[in-house]
Amino acid sequence: MAITSSESSAAAPRRGVNVLFSLTLIGLLLFLWIALGLGTASFWTPLNISNLLRQGAMTAILAVGQTFVIITAGIDLSVGAIVGFSSVILAWLLHAGVPLWAALILTLLMGMAIGVFHGFGIVRMGLPPFIITLATLTSLRGIGLLITDGSTISITHEAFTGFSRANFLGIPSLFWMVILVAVPAYIFLHLSRWGRYLFAVGSNREAARLSGVSVDRTIYMAYILSATCAAFVGILLASRIGIGNATQAEGWELQAIASSVIGGTSLFGAVGSIHGPLIGAFILATINNGANLLNVNSFWQRIITGLLIIVIVYFDQLRRRGSR
Amino acid sequence: MTSLEQVAHRHDDSLKKTEANRVAPGSPILELKGLQKNYGYVQALKPATVTFLAGEIHAIVGENGAGKSTLIKLLTGVITRTAGEIFWCGQPVALATPNEAIARGINAVHQEVVLCPHLTVAANLFLGDEINRNGLMRKRQMEKTAQAVLDDLGFNLPAASTLSSLTIGQQQLVATARAAMRGTQFLIFDEPTAYLTRQESAQLFKLIRRLQSEGVTIVYISHRMEEVFELADRVSVLRDGTHVGTRLVGETNETELIALMINRSIEQIYHKVDIPLGETILETRGLSGPGFEDVSLSVRAGEIVGLYGLIGAGRSEFALGLYGRHPATSGEIHWMDKKVDIRNEHAAMDLGIALAPESRRDQGLCLNLPIGLNINLPVFRRLSRGPIISHALESANADQQIRNLSIKTPSRRVLVSSMSGGNQQKVVIGKWLSHGARLFIFDEPTVGVDVGTKAEIYRLFAMLLKEGAGIILISSYLPEVYELADRLHVFRRGRLVGSHDFHAASHEDVLAEAIGV
Repeated sequence: MAITSSESSAAAPRRGVNVLFSLTLIGLLLFLWIALGLGTASFWTPLNISNLLRQGAMTAILAVGQTFVIITAGIDLSVGAIVGFSSVILAWLLHAGVPLWAALILTLLMGMAIGVFHGFGIVRMGLPPFIITLATLTSLRGIGLLITDGSTISITHEAFTGFSRANFLGIPSLFWMVILVAVPAYIFLHLSRWGRYLFAVGSNREAARLSGVSVDRTIYMAYILSATCAAFVGILLASRIGIGNATQAEGWELQAIASSVIGGTSLFGAVGSIHGPLIGAFILATINNGANLLNVNSFWQRIITGLLIIVIVYFDQLRRRGSR
Repeated sequence: MTSLEQVAHRHDDSLKKTEANRVAPGSPILELKGLQKNYGYVQALKPATVTFLAGEIHAIVGENGAGKSTLIKLLTGVITRTAGEIFWCGQPVALATPNEAIARGINAVHQEVVLCPHLTVAANLFLGDEINRNGLMRKRQMEKTAQAVLDDLGFNLPAASTLSSLTIGQQQLVATARAAMRGTQFLIFDEPTAYLTRQESAQLFKLIRRLQSEGVTIVYISHRMEEVFELADRVSVLRDGTHVGTRLVGETNETELIALMINRSIEQIYHKVDIPLGETILETRGLSGPGFEDVSLSVRAGEIVGLYGLIGAGRSEFALGLYGRHPATSGEIHWMDKKVDIRNEHAAMDLGIALAPESRRDQGLCLNLPIGLNINLPVFRRLSRGPIISHALESANADQQIRNLSIKTPSRRVLVSSMSGGNQQKVVIGKWLSHGARLFIFDEPTVGVDVGTKAEIYRLFAMLLKEGAGIILISSYLPEVYELADRLHVFRRGRLVGSHDFHAASHEDVLAEAIGV
């Protein structure tokens, strides 16, 4: 109780430490890039870098959406399934002759609707986020498989499939999409009052409610953002592989959660940023990419990724304990 | 042999009892010599030399931030000292870990109960020390023993019920019983009565005296002067991390202690200002809802309306009903002579009602977020242009409240969790000052708050009243509502059982109404 002056001053440098942590993450990313540049001949080739940016882009967008949810002390397990499902919906709409722009909007609206459903389950039905999103994970895969009858729908729209291979100003268009999502996301989370409400709800729901924060609306918002990001990634994936397939993006939800957590988001809520998950996603993408270049057995890739998550999050915990 | 002694006997084989038994009552059992603790550049405890005598009740008083908690943490091995020496039974000891402290027989009962809410009372009492046979727990035997101990202590508590079903006060008693069962030689109480009702406090005091008669040394930390004088043999005063003196309770008085504590004289903690009462702001007629029934009262501008009652008497429930958190189900609310319906918190806030809730930790604050965000939470709409927050307005508002309330912090970015209780309470109040309101509901605003901060909070009330606001003050601490409220309402079992004008009824009458004798 009476530790005021002492402990509060210990907590003051926290902001500095946070910056330091982001720098360490960027440092780790740069270290990986330099090491891979020295260790392999093909890492620093334009082709591979574009490839890396494309690989990381989709996880990064998912991770940003996921972070909104995790900050409210929730979790969204359905994002991988939404990605696959959206690719099916989009391909199906295009196949049915719907114009591209309408198909894109409908797919994004479908993503929002899934988010609304999650919010409904959590706010109105009182289900734990883990359960409701787990339920949609399996159901969406099922619905997608029903629609496609277990196979795939190919997309013949040239302009659309060409988009994912295109570059703009020498940078892959998919990476531009990350920026397209990240900038508004940053404004939303760090500069708008809705972002503050996300943190407040994640920290203490009752205190937020009694302070006049609309807790229900905030939770709806988080899940809608996450699901919409996932639907957007579904569109990008459909463009990249040229098909709609409900079984695509298996396990991406875990990649997204891992990226977010590596980026400093706390699964207990109320701690998180936009840049953290972005860096986290590209660290994971670099590890996969590098392991491929080094011809590391893909089974080992998974093990290394797992170990890395433990190490990074462990150090993050240490840092937080230190700043208390 | 009583049940308690039998249970405590299980621990006799450890090193502590033999060690402590060598110390004759009245001679030093624990000596601190130049004990010091720094956090970075901040001296939380300046070199302190204090001696605790075996078998005494030693009170420690001081304002929030005076270093009391630092001292407890040092004694219980939670933190390690920067400099100085600790002698236990004449021997220098490290007290580097909580386990070492416990092994020597030093235990603490904390203000906020640190037990497992989902386990039964018995399971909590035996936690970490279960009775086993062949590796299997003897659940029934533990429950029987636990019940025997509770009965023996005179606590009317069921051992088989889950802890969370008890009131906070009862949980505190369980925590105390737990410490008593461990054959403790040296027991520290950190503001144990903050959340207790009067009867519960009385039970606790009986237990403390009993432990003392069995030779246990008690350290008792409290903000409540009358408890110090009722219970303690000696009292030590801390101020700003400095040990400013130790007195025999018989040779000092409240005035001297307060002067030592705050180094300035408070003529009167309860400073009631005479403000002419204005129009009626709020009136309830037969208001009923979850936890309260048929409550009719009114609040006028410039008036403090006190709600007194035991914990769980329905006062907080009434406040939450009024605030739209758990809306009233029948009856009427009139706001400025107009009938209104308060269905949710927004409706209440829009009318001009502010609620500083009962529990800072559960309802009042986002503990792991910065002070600034907490203060601004109700007013972000005002601090934003469109949805985008103006950084200048945000920091200006937070800094202004920090200054106005003299919240002790280096920056608005500091996390609320790292602040002392008094400062946390100021943040809760600051939230609502920046929001502004006509009617302020303060639910237990001074629980766990030191005298100096209390006086500041009361001055704040006066300021609000002068600006034409009305206040509903909920308190379990009778002197507070008795001395401050223009009108005092007594709650019992969700109903209003008595209403008195300022000083129209005696303490005894009010108490009798609250207890129902």
